Amino acid sequence: MNGATAPALPRWRRGPAATAGLYLRFMRLAFLKMLAYRLRYYTGVVTYTIFVAGNYFLFTAVYASRPEGAEAARLGGLTLSQMIAYVIVSWVGRSFTFNNIDRTLSWQVSKGEIAVQLIKPLHVQTMMLSEALGEAAFRFLLFTLPILVVVIPLFGLAPPPHPALYGWTLLSFLLALVVNAQINFLVGCLAFHLKNVSGVVRAKMIMMEFLTGVLVPFTFFPDWVQVAVAWLPFQAVSYVPVMIYLGQRPGASLAGALLLQAAWALGLFVLGRWSWNRSVRHVTLQGG
Amino acid sequence: MTADPSAPPLIRVRDLCRDYGVSRRREGVRGGVVDLLRPRRETLRAVDRVSFDVAPGEMVGYIGANGAGKSTTIKMLTGILTPTSGTVDVGGLVPWRDRGHYTRHIGAVFGQRTQLWWDLAVVESFRLLQKIYEVPDADYRRQLGRLDELLGLGEFLHQPVRKLSLGQRMRCELAAALLHSPRLLFLDEPTIGLDVVAKESVRTFLRDIRESQGTTVLLTTHDLGDIQQLCRRVIIIDRGRVVYDGDLDGLRDRVGDRVELHVELRTPAASADLAADTAGLPVRWREAAGLQHVADFSRRDIRGAEVIKRVVNARPVLDLRVAEQSIEEIVRGIYRRGDAGDLP
Ligand SMILES: Nc1ncnc2c1ncn2[C@@H]1O[C@H](COP(=O)(O)OP(=O)(O)O)[C@@H](O)[C@H]1O
Ligand SMILES: [Mg+2]
Repeated sequence: MNGATAPALPRWRRGPAATAGLYLRFMRLAFLKMLAYRLRYYTGVVTYTIFVAGNYFLFTAVYASRPEGAEAARLGGLTLSQMIAYVIVSWVGRSFTFNNIDRTLSWQVSKGEIAVQLIKPLHVQTMMLSEALGEAAFRFLLFTLPILVVVIPLFGLAPPPHPALYGWTLLSFLLALVVNAQINFLVGCLAFHLKNVSGVVRAKMIMMEFLTGVLVPFTFFPDWVQVAVAWLPFQAVSYVPVMIYLGQRPGASLAGALLLQAAWALGLFVLGRWSWNRSVRHVTLQGG
Repeated sequence: MTADPSAPPLIRVRDLCRDYGVSRRREGVRGGVVDLLRPRRETLRAVDRVSFDVAPGEMVGYIGANGAGKSTTIKMLTGILTPTSGTVDVGGLVPWRDRGHYTRHIGAVFGQRTQLWWDLAVVESFRLLQKIYEVPDADYRRQLGRLDELLGLGEFLHQPVRKLSLGQRMRCELAAALLHSPRLLFLDEPTIGLDVVAKESVRTFLRDIRESQGTTVLLTTHDLGDIQQLCRRVIIIDRGRVVYDGDLDGLRDRVGDRVELHVELRTPAASADLAADTAGLPVRWREAAGLQHVADFSRRDIRGAEVIKRVVNARPVLDLRVAEQSIEEIVRGIYRRGDAGDLP
């Protein structure tokens, strides 16, 4: 063995400006990629409209079947027009916050494709979040807005009690998007530890419809469920922004609700980072 | 630039081991049910106490049969996989621990995977890589120009990756792995699935790169043609263990001493007759086809000329041909011997 010192490879760190530039590029490319597949989303507009319509007719019928009286006008604390707003805003919001990080990541991990990311000086979690943001920009312009354009004239959407709430709702949905992306990232990471993760991914998708409050407003659930759900991050994905739109301030205040979302976003990001590092260290990758 | 083997090593691998947990299936339906309830876990040692050094600028062939542990070793050297035990030091960095720093200095190509973005035009992927590795514009243009010249990328640079043929894609993968002029290049089966022409262009390219850029290259393959054309030094691995580490000629001298002499006779004869002609010499004869016979002997024992002289003196010969063992047969010979015990 040779005793001379080995030629050293310099250590290296990307500066903040270059980091921002790089991840903005991932955003831009995700946006462009979605643009290339935009035709797929036209059918999506129809699907979302059908979901909203189903809920619209269901709740209209439920409210109509109630006996006369002041108390009867409310269900789960919401009037019919609030309930319709709830349905529309949550589905429209879902069209914006949705992404496939869980499916993409778990596929890449279980097929071993993640190897090609691991050999690059990249922060995979940040890259996937950036791509989700790029995708969301596309979704907002070419998916969410068209859905609104179709749905509002069809079913009517009551405005929020205060015009400023439009802005806060938007901000809240942006935070919801980050929370959702982090939940999906964590689910995707499970593929490092489970042989067959696709079942978990599917189950999670169905559970999310309930736990985020998209399918049925939490206000319908028994108290103990509401308490339990309040401690979970899922309400930050849909219930919180929708309630902000309705002026119902989940929790103590508007600021409190937004801070709670931000805390979930940050907390889940940190948890995702921890889980990622741990998984990669213990990983066994498939394939040649 | 050529490698200086006496230079201090850039890669230093010591007693590297990697185990996989595998569940062994029981047989039959009942076995399947039992497997579900109580899986039979076993550990499989895919890489077993592997040690070697690689000097800067060296191109080393890491070869072995399917399942020998080549990819597992490459994964540990690229920092993707953490070893069960043992150490790797590459220029003062530990691949899996210092991944953030380390990946800046390496390029890698995995034969069956793409590191390009499937939906993007090739050139878009390249620009993204430029940003990832922070390659200055001037360097990027120079390097891309050079790679284009060697690999002929121009024709499909603007096509999306998913539309490329395997050969075209592999050329792009190689370019992608080298855009940032890495100090080390790891190639896992870079010619797998390629046709003869594409294989040849990849080999020519790698030769050029080694000579012009001084990149240190570790190449796994089970195609010995790659090795014969590219690497002076080979490391042979079998069931996770290094069974040979040295130069290609040395390998041939050591174990590739079997020589075959193909003889075509004018008149029919049995192999036994030929054996009688060469009586006293350690030669084995077998009949190949019709008038053709093959003598098999060791270069260590006798010279080919001695055998030829005996045969030609004994009977009329139409044609003679001496065939050396191919590397493939040599390597197979090593596998047959199995244990590393009788080899350095
Ligand atoms: N993820 C894995 N889980 C379990 N066993 C594996 C895994 N990857 C590889 N192996 C096993 O380890 C051995 C070496 O595999 P590999 O390094 O891929 O060999 P090679 O690249 O030389 O064909 C093989 O027996 C293979 O089946
Ligand atoms: Mg392999």
